[in-house]
Amino acid sequence: MAAEVALSRTAESSRSTGLDGFFKGATWFFAMVILLVLAAIIISLIISSVPAISRFGLGFLFSTAWNPVTEDFGALPAVYGTLVTSFFAMLIGIPVALGVAIYITELCPRWLKRPIGTMIELLAAIPSIIYGIWGLFVFAPWFQSTVEPWIIDTLGDVPLVGALFEGPPLGIGLFTAGLILAIMVLPFMASVMRDVFETVPAVLKESAYGIGATTWEVMWNVVLPTTRVGVIGAVMLGLGRALGETMAVTFVVGNAHQLHGSVLLPGTTISATLANEFAEAVTPIYRSSLFNLGLILFVITFIVLAIAKTMLIRMQSKAGA
Amino acid sequence: MGGRTTIALFLTILLGALGLLALWFEAVGGAVLAGFLILGVWTWVLWGRLAPYTQRRATNTAVLALSYGATGLGIFCLVLILGTLIWNGLGAVSIDFFTESTPASGSQGGGMLNAIYGSAVMTIVATLVGSPVGILAGTFLAEYGRGNLIAPVIRFINDILLSAPSIIIGLFVYEAMVLRMGHFSGWAGSVALAILVVPVVVRTTEDMLNLVPGSLREAAFALGTPKWRVIVTVTYRAAMQGMLTGVMLAVARISGETAPLLFTAVNNQFWTTNMNDWMPNLPVAIFQFALSPDANWQRLAWGGALLITVTILALNIVARVLTSGRSFGR
Amino acid sequence: MTALDMAESPQKPPTHAANLAPKIERGPVVKTALPPKVVIRDLKFYYKDFLAIKGVNLELHDKAVTAFIGPSGCGKSTLLRILNRIYELYPNQRATGEVIVDGQNILDPRVDLNLLRARIGMVFQKPTPFPMSIYDNVAFGIRLYERLSASGMDERVESALRRAALWDEVKDKLRQSGMSLSGGQQQRLCIARAVAVKPEVLLLDEPASALDPISTQRIEELIAELKSDYCIAIVTHNMQQAARSSDYTAFMYLGEVIEFAETEAIFTHPQKRQTEDYITGRFG
Repeated sequence: MAAEVALSRTAESSRSTGLDGFFKGATWFFAMVILLVLAAIIISLIISSVPAISRFGLGFLFSTAWNPVTEDFGALPAVYGTLVTSFFAMLIGIPVALGVAIYITELCPRWLKRPIGTMIELLAAIPSIIYGIWGLFVFAPWFQSTVEPWIIDTLGDVPLVGALFEGPPLGIGLFTAGLILAIMVLPFMASVMRDVFETVPAVLKESAYGIGATTWEVMWNVVLPTTRVGVIGAVMLGLGRALGETMAVTFVVGNAHQLHGSVLLPGTTISATLANEFAEAVTPIYRSSLFNLGLILFVITFIVLAIAKTMLIRMQSKAGA
Repeated sequence: MGGRTTIALFLTILLGALGLLALWFEAVGGAVLAGFLILGVWTWVLWGRLAPYTQRRATNTAVLALSYGATGLGIFCLVLILGTLIWNGLGAVSIDFFTESTPASGSQGGGMLNAIYGSAVMTIVATLVGSPVGILAGTFLAEYGRGNLIAPVIRFINDILLSAPSIIIGLFVYEAMVLRMGHFSGWAGSVALAILVVPVVVRTTEDMLNLVPGSLREAAFALGTPKWRVIVTVTYRAAMQGMLTGVMLAVARISGETAPLLFTAVNNQFWTTNMNDWMPNLPVAIFQFALSPDANWQRLAWGGALLITVTILALNIVARVLTSGRSFGR
Repeated sequence: MTALDMAESPQKPPTHAANLAPKIERGPVVKTALPPKVVIRDLKFYYKDFLAIKGVNLELHDKAVTAFIGPSGCGKSTLLRILNRIYELYPNQRATGEVIVDGQNILDPRVDLNLLRARIGMVFQKPTPFPMSIYDNVAFGIRLYERLSASGMDERVESALRRAALWDEVKDKLRQSGMSLSGGQQQRLCIARAVAVKPEVLLLDEPASALDPISTQRIEELIAELKSDYCIAIVTHNMQQAARSSDYTAFMYLGEVIEFAETEAIFTHPQKRQTEDYITGRFG
């Protein structure tokens, strides 16, 4: 009986060893697929951009032209728009996200923590096209009639900064797009920041409270220094998202390939350009220029996201997570 | 007089002069700004007069008030957006909405049936293709990744793909599939969505598998279970709820994605079940309808937006409820 | 009986420790003339470069219980985990020397680990029911290697659950999840799961330390019954439990086996000072 059992076990075991190898190989294969996809994306973007690169060279990055008829294209307005809208998104989004994260971790009564946390995450889950149409139909008109005139009248006259805020109140434009982006990106950043804040051991905070520090002092002197790297990582993640956002921006940015001093005037971003013009790009150079824009966007976001990820990994290893 | 007060008086005179000058040049904004700055200066003086402890309390109160404000702002925005959606979208939702295809421009009535169908089909295909890839890749990272050199690299790349601009994914699939096939198609749209599904599922699968206690695996190994069987019959089982939640979150994510479909499936005015053809879908339809001057189309756009949002929020809430009840034994 | 008395008398009279062990009816110690089931020779174990087990020589007898006692960190769990090579799941851990089971050195790299673990079963400190029904938990190990009919499987599951003294409590709820049981029941389920595959050796790593006293007592009764069929090695930090339940005891300290003898001998007249100190509670 024991010999029989031993024999059947041996047969079963060698079969399993084969399956072990197969299973491991399968998981490895699909893990490599991820690397392959990234490589394929980069290669495909580069190949498709070659006509434009060979035609315009590096000047593409600094040219403000955008003429499908003469086939002269330049990336500067789009790149400028991408950077400016993201800048405003960060300018407003970071403090608000910090405020929300501080509230949820330190101020919120226990029973409210989950509902508020859920609400913030629901805000993050709303797809960007919703922000887009809300921005166009609700926010922009209100902004145009209420806030923009006020900004133009006050900030517009200020000696240096004023140049940024001149122009007719259109409601749409780079600044509006930046604001919509801010609302889009802040729940995401708030979520990550909250997770980062919660890695601080309670004992650390308690010992600070125990000496009589106020909530803010605990945040500023204990939590933020401990999580500084993680917070930066969260911010960079938000920035990465903001840079690549398409639909939220396309509706309200104005879609004009122009470089203005004022952010209240219409402009464009890389993703908005792609969304709006790809269908109409019939000539090879036009299309290749669009791919070139896409390549630029990918490189920018890749760098930002890589930095973000590195920071978050470093913070995790410090926290011993 | 104290040092601060002296400086403050000096600055007030300076700013006051500048403000008056601005008023003379009819730059109201400059005058207002000068006014604010003067206020700021005197706040600073007052601040210096406070006892240190009061200062600390004041800072604390100020910051905390701002935090409350920030959270209030966030919640207000959520309520506002949802409210607008419901207000504008409910008007469009009717039986017709779910039974009729998109109308031609200028006509009345119609619905979003074809778009709903197309979105549903592409989402299902994308999930069916992307989830197994994601689950197996996540399994590699969690179960075979220790000590491995390639695992951290894959994890890194995966997280970058997770946040990469989805329009770039659309460009890629356009180049890889649409150009090669010679036409837009629902298949291309599904592939683009599948590429978005994979990183989400990889992340959640890896996280969930890592939560399974090592003692459970050890107990299985101790019975003589081969590794693949430990993973499939014990570890997967223990993490099943979490993994399914991950798939749900991926579905929620792709349900609202417009950009990747713009150059792959595009949209279709008519009803079609042919995946080889341009595939109607909700997000792109909303995009086209919302930007058009057609009032009927705009109405339908709001209805579609409401439908998408409700679906995504429902998926998220269900996923949240499932993960809160999660436990791996006592 | 003072320390002075103990220091003075040359042959060691029954120590204080013997009075610690409550008198429980133990079955007669089976002094078997059979060769030992497991022979451990010059066993060393390394965590990276750290030598955790410093050369162990002893034997485990069939149809008997061998207890491993010692203070925390002495290496008793580490030693146990060498016997089914479960340490190989983790990097940077290796063992040298010989562990001979029925004439075969199980540390040989050519040995099939899965088959080995089917012969040498283990029950862990924390009860670990699989996330499946009670029936499937017990049947899990059987299904790995044997193809049985439905009724054949039912019989095996029932007999395993009976051996683990769990059958009466779960016979009406075999389809319920294993995780719905109490802690003590879960541990007995793990024992049933381990004996269901008909191993030759059972390794128990502090099986009752996570349980309440009543469950602990039931587990101990169980071990007393199981020993008539298996070679059992048990690690415990509870000395009284070792004294009650085992036939042989090994006292370990800092990775070495200080003393190994029949339980009665170890607890009534330990040969080494360290053993005596530990047993009388002077340290650990």
